[in-house]
Amino acid sequence: MSVFNIAVIIAALMLIFIGLFMLVRTNNLIRVIIAIEVVMKAITLLLIFAGYMNGQMALAQSFVITMIVVEVVVAVVAAGVALSIYRRNNDTDIRKLNKLNG
Amino acid sequence: MNETLVLILLVLIVGCGLGSAMFRSMLHSAVSLALLSATLAIVMMMMGATWAGLFELSVCAGLVTVIFVSAISLTQPIRRHPEHSEDHHRRFMALPFILIVVGVAMIATVLLGHFAVNPVLQPETAETAATFKEVFWGSRQADILGQIIVILAGAFAVVILFKEGSEA
Amino acid sequence: MSASMYLIYSFLGLPLIIVLALTLAAKKPADRLCIYAGYLAAIVQMIAAAAIFAALLAAGVESLTFSQFWDMSVSDSAAYLSLDAFSLVAIFCVGLVSLVSLITAQSTMGEKKLNFTNVLMMLMLGMNGIAMAADLFTLYVFLEVTGITSFVLIAIFHDIRGLEGSFKYLVMSAIASAFILAGLAFLFMEFGGLGFDTVAAAIGAWQEAANPTLLIVAFVLLASGFLIKSGIAPFHGWLPDAYQSAPDAVSVVLGGIVTKMAGTYALIRLLSELLTDIAPLTQACVILALGSILFGAVAAVRQSDFKRILAYSSISQIGYILLGAVCASPLGYIGAILHFFNHATFKTTLFVNAAAVHEQTGTTDIEELGGLQKQMPVTGVTSVIAFLSTAGIPPLAGFWSKLIIIIAAWQALGAFAGALALFASIFTAAYFLRLQSKVFFGLLREGLEEVREAVLGLKIAEILLTAITVGFGIAFPLALRFMQAQGWL
Repeated sequence: MSVFNIAVIIAALMLIFIGLFMLVRTNNLIRVIIAIEVVMKAITLLLIFAGYMNGQMALAQSFVITMIVVEVVVAVVAAGVALSIYRRNNDTDIRKLNKLNG
Repeated sequence: MNETLVLILLVLIVGCGLGSAMFRSMLHSAVSLALLSATLAIVMMMMGATWAGLFELSVCAGLVTVIFVSAISLTQPIRRHPEHSEDHHRRFMALPFILIVVGVAMIATVLLGHFAVNPVLQPETAETAATFKEVFWGSRQADILGQIIVILAGAFAVVILFKEGSEA
Repeated sequence: MSASMYLIYSFLGLPLIIVLALTLAAKKPADRLCIYAGYLAAIVQMIAAAAIFAALLAAGVESLTFSQFWDMSVSDSAAYLSLDAFSLVAIFCVGLVSLVSLITAQSTMGEKKLNFTNVLMMLMLGMNGIAMAADLFTLYVFLEVTGITSFVLIAIFHDIRGLEGSFKYLVMSAIASAFILAGLAFLFMEFGGLGFDTVAAAIGAWQEAANPTLLIVAFVLLASGFLIKSGIAPFHGWLPDAYQSAPDAVSVVLGGIVTKMAGTYALIRLLSELLTDIAPLTQACVILALGSILFGAVAAVRQSDFKRILAYSSISQIGYILLGAVCASPLGYIGAILHFFNHATFKTTLFVNAAAVHEQTGTTDIEELGGLQKQMPVTGVTSVIAFLSTAGIPPLAGFWSKLIIIIAAWQALGAFAGALALFASIFTAAYFLRLQSKVFFGLLREGLEEVREAVLGLKIAEILLTAITVGFGIAFPLALRFMQAQGWL
């Protein structure tokens, strides 16, 4: 059923859009990381859907598991950097990040 | 697989994504993200990705939420910042409407362009028939090595960013 | 052949063993020995890369493939790692730049040496993995390894600038990864696998695939992801911040090799091996490469920080590498590889010079510097030579690779592209002349009388890299003849 296939892809694209919108509009460091996670969720959905479509679910699962591990470590590192910034600035406002001239 | 049920779950997923962007309280955003993960895990299992679904449920809905909740509780002062949340509300008020427009535009593109997503037919080979364990341990060894290094790097990141940061 | 098969363990095994050994060892000896262990890994890597290169030539094979870690000789259908001439050049550069970065770290890292060495070893692993990957998903995993270790290295001192640069890099890199992964998901859906051979076999008939529209989306997503990672002009926002904010030893490795491996190397692989026939993509890359060459050169003129000038110069030079790669001719490909190698050497020299100036004067702001030539003769002279090589002055190495790229661009893309690339070279000379005259020439600025030449290690690194630049430039006709004999040109 083609409507279903298209619906999955549209859902994933909308999720990516939400994530990117959040990434651009937010002022908060932690929210930036949440936005990255939302985008990654959409990509997990896309990868699994790809495996569902071409019948290679085993390979798709291997990809997704590796991706989840990477994603968690990125979230940990990002949270660590954000917390260190908070310790220095005493604020999680992204607009205070202007120490680098350009 | 019950396609209607999956479609309902997909709507729920997009709703959770919207929630994680819109909620004024960051704690609510994090919980919304966890809910998104959990729903996604169900969808994955329904599509046949049992192992990946389990991983998503335990690691993303569990571990990542723990990380976020601790990060939020460490960075949010006890007293509230009313102006912050007002500001956040103003910034994200338009998102649902924009999202509706984007969704309608996408559906219109699909309808006007006679766009269809066709299943890719694969001949039944040894590779397609292989089980998850065979594929993961047999032919993805380079990825596993990469995972090990990523986890090691994460451990060092925690040591460098958290432990030494508190000493300074 | 069989003996050199085992040398590749040194690329993926040795750094890991060193990390584990340093972590398990007692703190005192580990602190003292860590840098030397790092030297060992870097030098072994360079020697092994050269040895495998020689063995490949002797056997007359184009590439080696591996599938299973415990039995490297098995190469069945599932080959996820491979080595060819370009990956060996890249691995050699990784070893060289890591060595120099460790030398820099010895005098600048202070008590963070142990952590620095450990994370740098993992960064080397990540870059070696990128160089060896023969599968798009493996490539992505090692890209992430490279990224994560870079974020940690930039933030290693916990200063607010480092943290800020690290966070910006992290966000941009996460967006790029998301694009790449989304592209990979669509490719995987169509082709049922992500091995280079699978994709290359199926890509010719992509218009007959089940969903050609999704494939177009996939190509665009993949290309833009890698363009962000390599810092090409409209996507460059994070690059100067990351370079400027990183500690000296880290900016050596970042500017010298990391962005080139994570972005440019992967992009060249993609464009030259997988997506060769997709004309619109190639055209877009040509425009971006030319724009990047010009933008980087023009923007570099207005900067006032030593490292920031080098960062914008990198944007411009990476444009040249990309321009060579999209020419779709053997000449352009060779030019891209040569410029890759040359850029690794002369840009590393310049970052070491920046580190030396920073270490001695405590600043990298060129407005506060001046007349250091007498105080720091070695740094001054090596930096002039590296600048001349960047600007493409004969007979230095940079001249030859730039010449090849411009000729290839002229042949493949028409006179306009070639002329534009040539014209931007003049700007290169302009910004470097400005930097050189502000930092090294002229009268000594007050308060800098006490400045001395950099420590011995940095001097050795500068001289070594300059010797490579000059030596390779003078010996280049021989290399050209050799490449013609091999039939590469």
